[in-house]
Amino acid sequence: MKLAFSQSNNPQRQKLIKGLHTEARVDTYVKSGNVPLLKEKDSSIKTLAQLHSAFQTAIELEHSTIPPYLVALYSIKDGTNQVATQIIRSVVIEEMLHMILAANILNAIGGEPKINAKNFIPAYPGSLPDSDKSFIINLEKFSKETIDTFLKIEKPAHTNAPPKAKGYHTIGQFYQALMLGLEYVNDHTEGGIFVTDPEKKKRQVTQEHYYGSGGEIVPVYTIKEARLAIEEIVGQGEGIDDTIDDSDEKLFGQGIEYAHYFRFNEILQERMYCEKDTPKSGPTGEKIVVEWDAVHNMKLNPKIKDYQGQPELHEQAKQFNQTYTALLDNIHHACNGEPEMLMKGVGLMYQLKYKAVELMNIPFGDTGEMAGPTFEFEQPKK
Amino acid sequence: MKTDNYDVVVVGSGIAGAVIAKTLTNAGKKVLLLEAGLQAGIALDPEESYKTYQGYLETFYEAGAKVPNSPYPDLKDAPSINILDIVKLQKSNTPSTVGYLVQKGPVPFASDCFRGPGGTTLHWLGTTLRMLPNDFKMKTVYNQNVDWPLTYDELKPYYEMAELEIGVSGDVEEQKYPDIPKDFFGKDYVFPMEKIPQSYLDKEIAKKTDKLKVTLNRKEYELSCISTPQGRNSTPNEDYKYGSIVWDPSKKKLALKTQPKTYNPDGSLWDPYTGQRCEGNASCVPICPVQAKYNALKTLKKATLENLEVITQAVASKINTDDHSGEVTGIEYKIYKHKGSPEYTTATATGTIYVLAASAIENAKILLASNVGNTSDQVGRNLMDHLVLLTWGLTKEKIYPYRGPGSTTNIPTFRDGAFRSEHAAWISPLDNWGWSWPTFSPGSDVTNALNEGVFGKALRNRMNDLVTRQFLLHFEVEQSPDAGNRVTIDPQYLDAIKNYRPVISYGVSEYNLKAFEASKTVSDQIFAANGIEDHTVYNPVTDADYVTYKGQGYTFRGAGHIVGTHRMGFTKDDSVVDKNQRSWEHPNLYLVGCGNMPTLGTSNPTLTMTALTFQAAENILKQLEQ
Amino acid sequence: MTIQRSEKDLFLEISVYLTGFDEAELQGTGMVNTYYQAVLSNNTQPDVAYFFEMVATILQQNEGNEDALNKAISIHLMPASAYSGMAMNIINMWYTGNWGQNVVSGQAYIQGLIWDAAEAHPPGAKQPGYGSWAIPPL
Ligand SMILES: Cc1cc2nc3c(=O)[nH]c(=O)nc-3n(C[C@H](O)[C@H](O)[C@H](O)COP(=O)(O)OP(=O)(O)OC[C@H]3O[C@@H](n4cnc5c(N)ncnc54)[C@H](O)[C@@H]3O)c2cc1C
Ligand code: SF4
Repeated sequence: MKLAFSQSNNPQRQKLIKGLHTEARVDTYVKSGNVPLLKEKDSSIKTLAQLHSAFQTAIELEHSTIPPYLVALYSIKDGTNQVATQIIRSVVIEEMLHMILAANILNAIGGEPKINAKNFIPAYPGSLPDSDKSFIINLEKFSKETIDTFLKIEKPAHTNAPPKAKGYHTIGQFYQALMLGLEYVNDHTEGGIFVTDPEKKKRQVTQEHYYGSGGEIVPVYTIKEARLAIEEIVGQGEGIDDTIDDSDEKLFGQGIEYAHYFRFNEILQERMYCEKDTPKSGPTGEKIVVEWDAVHNMKLNPKIKDYQGQPELHEQAKQFNQTYTALLDNIHHACNGEPEMLMKGVGLMYQLKYKAVELMNIPFGDTGEMAGPTFEFEQPKK
Repeated sequence: MKTDNYDVVVVGSGIAGAVIAKTLTNAGKKVLLLEAGLQAGIALDPEESYKTYQGYLETFYEAGAKVPNSPYPDLKDAPSINILDIVKLQKSNTPSTVGYLVQKGPVPFASDCFRGPGGTTLHWLGTTLRMLPNDFKMKTVYNQNVDWPLTYDELKPYYEMAELEIGVSGDVEEQKYPDIPKDFFGKDYVFPMEKIPQSYLDKEIAKKTDKLKVTLNRKEYELSCISTPQGRNSTPNEDYKYGSIVWDPSKKKLALKTQPKTYNPDGSLWDPYTGQRCEGNASCVPICPVQAKYNALKTLKKATLENLEVITQAVASKINTDDHSGEVTGIEYKIYKHKGSPEYTTATATGTIYVLAASAIENAKILLASNVGNTSDQVGRNLMDHLVLLTWGLTKEKIYPYRGPGSTTNIPTFRDGAFRSEHAAWISPLDNWGWSWPTFSPGSDVTNALNEGVFGKALRNRMNDLVTRQFLLHFEVEQSPDAGNRVTIDPQYLDAIKNYRPVISYGVSEYNLKAFEASKTVSDQIFAANGIEDHTVYNPVTDADYVTYKGQGYTFRGAGHIVGTHRMGFTKDDSVVDKNQRSWEHPNLYLVGCGNMPTLGTSNPTLTMTALTFQAAENILKQLEQ
Repeated sequence: MTIQRSEKDLFLEISVYLTGFDEAELQGTGMVNTYYQAVLSNNTQPDVAYFFEMVATILQQNEGNEDALNKAISIHLMPASAYSGMAMNIINMWYTGNWGQNVVSGQAYIQGLIWDAAEAHPPGAKQPGYGSWAIPPL
């Protein structure tokens, strides 16, 4: 009766994709001149005000992926799709981390994150904020198409794609532009742009408030931590190395945590990556059981006004939105000088799930479809 | 790893066995672990452990009575004690044979344990209080019970190891117990994680209870309410510096090793990110769905697996010894093929040193069955538990129970004091789970309302009003060691694969009964101060452990703390093991677990036992490297 | 205009008045089908038929008048002797997930309404998250 012990799970993360090497890149871009970076009339970031606005967009961008990921996650029926559930759950938690990281940077350069406003929440169907709108994101139940969209969201940038804060094609491009802007404005401002007032430094959210997935909350005080924070976001999410489809590098193996793109790809291909795999080979490891049918049949992109004919359902959907809005409010306060609020938001996060699943159990009229959460702004009643 | 000669053969994969296996294999020793439970339960890899654990969880959801053992397989081949089998004993001379234990009384022993991989920590609550210095010298200080051959100070470094191993969350600053010295905790010592937040209920009750003056036997005491250290994950304490426990072969000692990183809470077996914080499932007993609560498999997972061989479905039944040297020569065990099969084969495990870690009742039973180690006639005697007197009532305002870990606050005031020369000490945890333990609320509340014809909105409102105000208080009374409270064996009573069933004689001494009386007096004063309407009922007809004292009836319940059946002592005539936890007669036999503890004190025993087990592991390593 | 309602619709509708939870709340548990099936399988066919006949009648006769409806439920459905205690058993099932002493299913336990009524959650499921117990329920 010999036991088959597997190697003990190593929680240590190793980034699959190399992070941004910003300093080197700035040089390359500037020297090679093949990017219209510092020329006149480009869209690159050159003022602190532009930076503030770009990092506000970053927060919105990170957030905009959360409702669609959550809908897919909640639509999976309890007790099924164990691996897929774990993957999506960990990605969502990391997106929240990214949101906080972007807020930390914004706070570090004297900005004020705005998270509890009506226009903070994107409309679905829609596209990534300020992107080139090359694909549409829906609030949609777990399915192959949905995961395929997630892959598009997390798709890494080609090295030769130019940094772009507006009209970007991939998130990697967007962050490159932000990083370059950060370096540029910091270098061109006397004394730098990072706040030194101890009161303002207290606005940083720190690691003790974060758990449940890989990654780390980096408190940002100087350009050094800002770089780290951006590397964390990009490395964990999309990666920005050479185009992943044709890289032959061996990057996979036990104990390594893959970037979101690859984790989603595992679901789609219904296989894990294994040690001998390369991005080009795709996952060829153990099979994953994906039960594409064990899903609540949620209506596509529901809106609260769709529920007007079903007052009780309407009320429940409203309650969901109130919880969601309360959660955003909570994160807003956490990122505006009350970091301990993050812990208090934990309960709201769990509530969100239970309320969403309840909605997905309620028939939507006689359509045969089920209702679902609408993720709209709804001021909680006091 | 498979060899014919192991350095150490260990019986049982509970926390005691797991600590031994981990510590020894990490130090390079070859260990064979015999485990009575099912193969599936030992899985440590993500996929299999998840599958097994989800199976437990599903069984728990579907169980009618959600008692501690409800999620776990009950095996004919290695039965577990089940509290559902604890029935009121009839006054006749025939013992109760319901369930695994044979209960002779006068009252039934009221606690259970789990026989299976990981052992009872799968359904323990996880409270991890240290014992107090006076608990180790009850005879000297209070002329009661016995002294330990060890002092608190000797055990202190091992307490720190146990607190790392279990992953204790707590606030050292708040740990103020009666009569403890300033250096009770070392200088600047902190627990690995910050305290588990105290419940809303705790804070409401503390408003009128903390600093409350109560009178007991004409003496006044000021109560305090403090947070309870526990083995479940919370926010890492940045000031905590240790990362592992290592054997130092040159000093021949175990030592805590520091690490530069912040402590990282141990998540579940299947995903390190699940269970990094207690999520408030409020089901720690019987099962923590996310494994935020410590269980022994987490320790086993840290063993050096190349040095470890585990044989499951292997029930140790007899120890063989050499008549001349007294050395143990092997442990016989019975292997059953699959769950419930009456067929088994017998084999013998051999090694240099042998360790029994099958929990107090089983350890004693195996010794008795082998007629080994019992010159003192103490094997099986001094069986103890905390005798839990519960009192319950309704608060005026809503306190919202049924949320959070079982208990997050306790009243330590009566853990020590001069009264211990008269009656037993106790600790009072505030319970976060309403009246579920004594009355099976809230299910029974629904039934009661329905029987009154209440339905619809009235029912919903009634439940809201009632259940949100349920308050439950424990008085966990230290049971004194009593030679008559014992485990014996009898060839009449065998299990399915012909191993002995434990036969238990058990009763409550006057020293403890007096403490019941005293507890109820204190409870009355707490309830009065808080305006709590008392709903406590001790039922002489239905309660299995109903006892009377001075004309008053009390019902106690078991705490799950099975202690004292192979006590440690000063000489081979007064005890089963010496202070090294080694059998007096058999130089290569160690016993580990709560059975070694001469007295119980007022802390839940596992932390102390784990500290002792690290000490035992150190002694074993010393002996191996002689 | 009377619409022919199926037994299952009647089951859902009467459950609202029996439990004190509205239709969306009951549907939100995802248990309507399972519980309706449990009613069928735990009762004799005649009991079920008579029960729903009575349910249809009292719902129709007392439409729009909740007090009268409650009175009718009290008289015709709630007595332990009525339809082998079916109404009581149905309420108990919604609240605890048990039919009599038997757990209908693991999900039924998790979806017990008693936990909502008590502003808590079923032990071992729908956990409210780290530290949630330190403040009143959300
Ligand atoms: C409901 C409950 C709550 C508790 N709460 C707390 C608490 O809050 N704090 C605290 O300190 N303590 C608590 N305890 C007590 C605690 O669980 C035990 O003290 C502890 O788990 C004992 O560990 P152990 O390793 O000695 O024995 P166990 O955990 O019981 O392990 C014994 C092991 O030996 C195996 N075994 C048994 N017989 C044989 C055999 N013949 N051959 C091979 N293997 C065998 C078993 O399968 C098992 O793996 C609680 C107990 C219960 C029941
Ligand atoms: S309260 Fe829940 S999450 Fe926390 S330890 Fe208990 S069962 Fe686990």
